[in-house]
Amino acid sequence: MLNETVYIVDDDPSVREGLDSLLRSAGYATHCFASPREFQLHRRADMPSCLVLDVRMPGASGLDFQVELANADDAIPIIFLTGHGDVPMSVRAMRAGAVEFLLKPFREQDLLDAIRLAIERDRARRQNETVDSELHQRLNTLTAREREVMALVSTGLLNKQIAGELGLSEVTVKVHRGQVMRKMQAATLADLIRMSDRLGLSAK
Amino acid sequence: MRRWLARYSVDMPLLWLGIVLSSALIFVADTLTNFEIAFAVLYVAVILLSARAGRPRAIIAVGISCGLLTGLSYALTRYGNPESGLTNGALSLLAIVTTTYLAYKSETAEASTRETQADLARMARITSIGELATSIAHEVSQPLTAIVANANAAMRWLAAEPPSQDEAKQALNRVVADAARAGEVIGRVRQLVARVPPSKVEVDMIDVIEETLALTRGEMVRNGIVLRTDLADHLPAVVGDRVQLQQVILNFVVNAMEATHKSEEKEVLVSAAADESKITVSVRDTGIGVPSDVADQVFEAFYTTKSTGIGMGLAISRSIIEAHGGAIYVAPNYPHGAAFGFTLPIKSGAGDKPRVE
Repeated sequence: MLNETVYIVDDDPSVREGLDSLLRSAGYATHCFASPREFQLHRRADMPSCLVLDVRMPGASGLDFQVELANADDAIPIIFLTGHGDVPMSVRAMRAGAVEFLLKPFREQDLLDAIRLAIERDRARRQNETVDSELHQRLNTLTAREREVMALVSTGLLNKQIAGELGLSEVTVKVHRGQVMRKMQAATLADLIRMSDRLGLSAK
Repeated sequence: MRRWLARYSVDMPLLWLGIVLSSALIFVADTLTNFEIAFAVLYVAVILLSARAGRPRAIIAVGISCGLLTGLSYALTRYGNPESGLTNGALSLLAIVTTTYLAYKSETAEASTRETQADLARMARITSIGELATSIAHEVSQPLTAIVANANAAMRWLAAEPPSQDEAKQALNRVVADAARAGEVIGRVRQLVARVPPSKVEVDMIDVIEETLALTRGEMVRNGIVLRTDLADHLPAVVGDRVQLQQVILNFVVNAMEATHKSEEKEVLVSAAADESKITVSVRDTGIGVPSDVADQVFEAFYTTKSTGIGMGLAISRSIIEAHGGAIYVAPNYPHGAAFGFTLPIKSGAGDKPRVE
């Protein structure tokens, strides 16, 4: 479990130390930072992680930092901590994709639940990304013609129709189609269609 | 009676020495001279002197003592005509009673004025505290958050397999420290709202400033105000009431925060310095500033620019500083904003006893 990492950003050293000890005792690896800047300068390990962020800090507020991360395409899940949770603030944070908005002092279980959820979200996102990048890699091995065939197969056309569409013989289409199934490592037609969906091919 | 007389005499030893000596002198003179000479009338001066102690009951006590001494002198006097002595004694007693009564009356009136002023000052403090409620709640909830986290962590470290006593101990140590921190915040607030008589002690202004800023820091952060301090490493102590002086600084800081509300660059600079004779404390802000034509009015009662203010903060601040023998001022801050500050004499005794709580 130690590879799951929680990043803690709070300007108050006492809160930081408390969170650090609590989360380590719950089995997470932790990294503490006094400001969002410090966190940004840190090179993060490539593993499921989440960010526990204080809303109110000198300099950049936690909410601004959330926007900044989103703009930088940084999808790390965020759990906000706040001393004075007003409704508009929490709405804004949740709309922008925060996992949880916890009022200080929070209940231990609430925090741990939120962190588990955040880590799971990050894990799922990472898996998705891995699958996506693998699919892209496979797609890149296809020739231009094979891609066309794959796209048309995914829309549900028969070999004969594809042959007509592309001006090829049915046998050639069949050969291309076999190559596509092999290169994409698709066991069934349904598999291939799912992959096309994911890669956004069938929309074309 | 003896106990509180003793208490008073500790308060202002010189005054009470004077009262006792002059009473003794008058008593001796009154006893040794003839009945015809009404020395006892001079007790009036002693009673008026006792009014300086600022305690109505002390005046009554002195008045009664003077009356008794007059009677005793009459009984002990050997020379002259006892009948004229009786008349003179009666006149003296009348003068003593009248003076005692009048002095008592005026002193109670003054005491109730002081009390009213003290209540007003306290109300103003409570108002300031109210404006800082969010900030103070934050200052308490931070250590509380840390306590909850550390206490839970400690339990987990102990329940772990194998248990980590070291980690648990460290977490518990932090619980203790954080609890102390929360307690301090509450203590500071309680001090400011408590109803305590004004005191006259040596005050370290750096301490007072830092305590005030500890209460307002959260509010500054929330409002995006950058707080800077320029405090001398060491300031000579001033003599006065700690809570009152803190109230003045709190007032300045709260005003500065409100003044910067609409500014682009929000900055508050708190500085403290000393020269040979006085210390100067000032709070500068980059806010809307004070137009020079109203600079004279800002310290007057009921002058306010705030929609919710009653205009007492600066008026009370001025009366506090003047009661401490100091001076309060406002000046423009460069390039914009205002600087509020005060000076206090370093040497003790320069200031009279604080008249406002």
